[in-house]
Amino acid sequence: MKSWKIGAIGLVLVLLFGLFAMAEENVTITFWHAMSSGHQPNLQNLVDDFMAEYPYITVELSYQGGYGDLQQKINAAVVAGNVPTMAQAYENWVTPIVEVLYPIGPHMTGLEKADIIDGLVPSNTYNGILYTVPFNKSIMVFYYRKDLVPTPPATWEEYLQMAKDLTADTNDDGTIDQFGTGFRPSANPEQFLNFLEEAGGSILNEDWTEVTINNEAGLAAMEYAASLAPYSLITSAYMSDAFQANQVCMFIDTSAGYYYNNKAAETAGFEMGVARVPVGPVNQKSMIQGTNLGVFDMNQTQAQKDAAVLLARFLLLANKTVFWAEKGGYQPVTKSAYVTEEWKNWVATHEYQQAISAQMLDGFSQILHPNYGDMRDIIATSFEEAMMGEAAPKEALDAAAGELGALLE
Amino acid sequence: MGKERLVEYLHRFSLPESWRKVSFWKETVAAYLYLLPAFVILGAFVFYPFFSAFRLSTFKWSVVRPPGTFVGWGNYHYIFHDKYFWRALWHTFYYVGVNVPVTLFLALLVANLLNKSLRFLTFTRTSYFLAYITPLVAVSMVWRWLYNWQYGLLNYFLGFFGVSLINWLGDKRFALPAVIILSIWRFVGYEAIILLAGLQGIDKMYYEAARIDGASGFQVWRKVTVPLLTPQIFFVFIISLIGSFKVFTEIYVLFGGTSGPLRSAETLVYYIMRQGFFGTNHLGRAAAASVVLFCIIFIFTLFQLQITQKRVHYQ
Repeated sequence: MKSWKIGAIGLVLVLLFGLFAMAEENVTITFWHAMSSGHQPNLQNLVDDFMAEYPYITVELSYQGGYGDLQQKINAAVVAGNVPTMAQAYENWVTPIVEVLYPIGPHMTGLEKADIIDGLVPSNTYNGILYTVPFNKSIMVFYYRKDLVPTPPATWEEYLQMAKDLTADTNDDGTIDQFGTGFRPSANPEQFLNFLEEAGGSILNEDWTEVTINNEAGLAAMEYAASLAPYSLITSAYMSDAFQANQVCMFIDTSAGYYYNNKAAETAGFEMGVARVPVGPVNQKSMIQGTNLGVFDMNQTQAQKDAAVLLARFLLLANKTVFWAEKGGYQPVTKSAYVTEEWKNWVATHEYQQAISAQMLDGFSQILHPNYGDMRDIIATSFEEAMMGEAAPKEALDAAAGELGALLE
Repeated sequence: MGKERLVEYLHRFSLPESWRKVSFWKETVAAYLYLLPAFVILGAFVFYPFFSAFRLSTFKWSVVRPPGTFVGWGNYHYIFHDKYFWRALWHTFYYVGVNVPVTLFLALLVANLLNKSLRFLTFTRTSYFLAYITPLVAVSMVWRWLYNWQYGLLNYFLGFFGVSLINWLGDKRFALPAVIILSIWRFVGYEAIILLAGLQGIDKMYYEAARIDGASGFQVWRKVTVPLLTPQIFFVFIISLIGSFKVFTEIYVLFGGTSGPLRSAETLVYYIMRQGFFGTNHLGRAAAASVVLFCIIFIFTLFQLQITQKRVHYQ
């Protein structure tokens, strides 16, 4: 063998060795989250699995308090230029800081990206690039009292009729003390957004150039909501309070509240059922909510960013997202997770999960518009005004459309 | 030589005698050194944030490129044209206007009662103070149940007087009064304890003198007690006025993270929080509203200092 060949092979070997050595270089990443004590062991468990598989990566989980605290800390960290490697974040937290995020999508395979539930892709995509990936997700479902509602309503009409029938003055004191249903318009405008989607409506048109909330579909949604108002308890408190006090019989709310609503039912002494939301005039869809995972592109080494992307992808693996869902009361975020035996068994043995799980694959989520925070505020006000009889549905929607239009300028 | 020239120099400018002593300068430097830690802490946590709020109010905030784009008076223009700002301002004045005098009046009453029957003083004092030292969030959670329109204790008691169920937290007419009642309950004890301390500090001889002169009970109260209690009344008044302008937590908890039905209990601080932190990130607008709040409190405090100080009597 000629000496140059030996030299070249040697060089290649050295380079390869060097590459491996580089790849294996120890790296530490920090992961800010808002998962309170009940969820922390599960998250730690997942991260431990990850570190066992990638021994050169150390993940430091760091609990930052509630979601509000986490958002403020992320913002403060960005201002100070001292960010974690990755963090949990809601969609509307992401839009103001998207330019300091390291997009995860470009580092995922086509299969991985296609595996994410369709309804979750738009809320993680900014300018056509998948920046973040879904993490802990819950969905709007229909809760009801099994003793009073033998079969949950399948359609909007049935829901309205049942709400009417169940609304009663049970102690004959001249005031209604049992409402058929209940809404939290100021705190949970997603209840209206769910109706809007089921009526085939949307806040804005597809390319976000025009407000569509007050079109025919939007009006149908708001008029339907307002038709429920006389049979609804309108409150800002969590519905579990009123549920426990026998003040409401059924309501639409996030599956994240399952534990609290069920506890309320147990305390009050009745059985709670969970069903799909009643089908609307156009479709049967539910809104998915919850946080996503983002990686920061600010004062992080490439190795750190790579490690964080690796962790984000790891958490999307079917068995990981199933584990997270089972333990934490969330829903798996990838399609492949729903066909695993593990998840099928889980759903089969947990009755309430059937309705929740069935909705996820055709669920929808919020739009990733830079002004979504303001938009949500405007919609909440309009929803509340219509539900409290302060404004007619059309009037409330037109006012909202005016304000939303100003945000597009 | 040098020292003489310095003395001559100081003489020429007729500076105070004491300035010519080295010991004066030593003491001055020492004094400032002692003050330095306080200055540093106040500077970092009070003055700097205070001035940066002014600066921030002229910017359209950006997290990525702080403080963002300079907009001049833009944020002020926005809030002055926002109907919710004016509503919040009105709610704040309504809250302050009712809460401060009513609490003070009740506190005076309670303080007098406590001053008269001293047998269970420690017990009563503790129970009154308990409302104040219990964390506000916990208190508000309890009141949320007391206010429940169907099962709440408040409606239950009102029922004895033939009052039909009031939807305290769900009716826009009652939302702010509900917050005021909670605040009064919370602060009466605290204010009463301060006033009681003042009452007990009044020298008995004034009362004896008044009695010898044949003053009636009301006259004694009007001419002796109230004038000698003015320092405490003044203190309580200012503290509760400033505190009331900043009301936020009880609203946030009572209404489950909202500001009541149709924002009927949205005060200025709630407005500031909503603009700046509740998912909307308009820190510039929030800062502008804070500056307005600062000006209001500042004017009120100046006004109070001017007017009330003339009427405060120190023994």
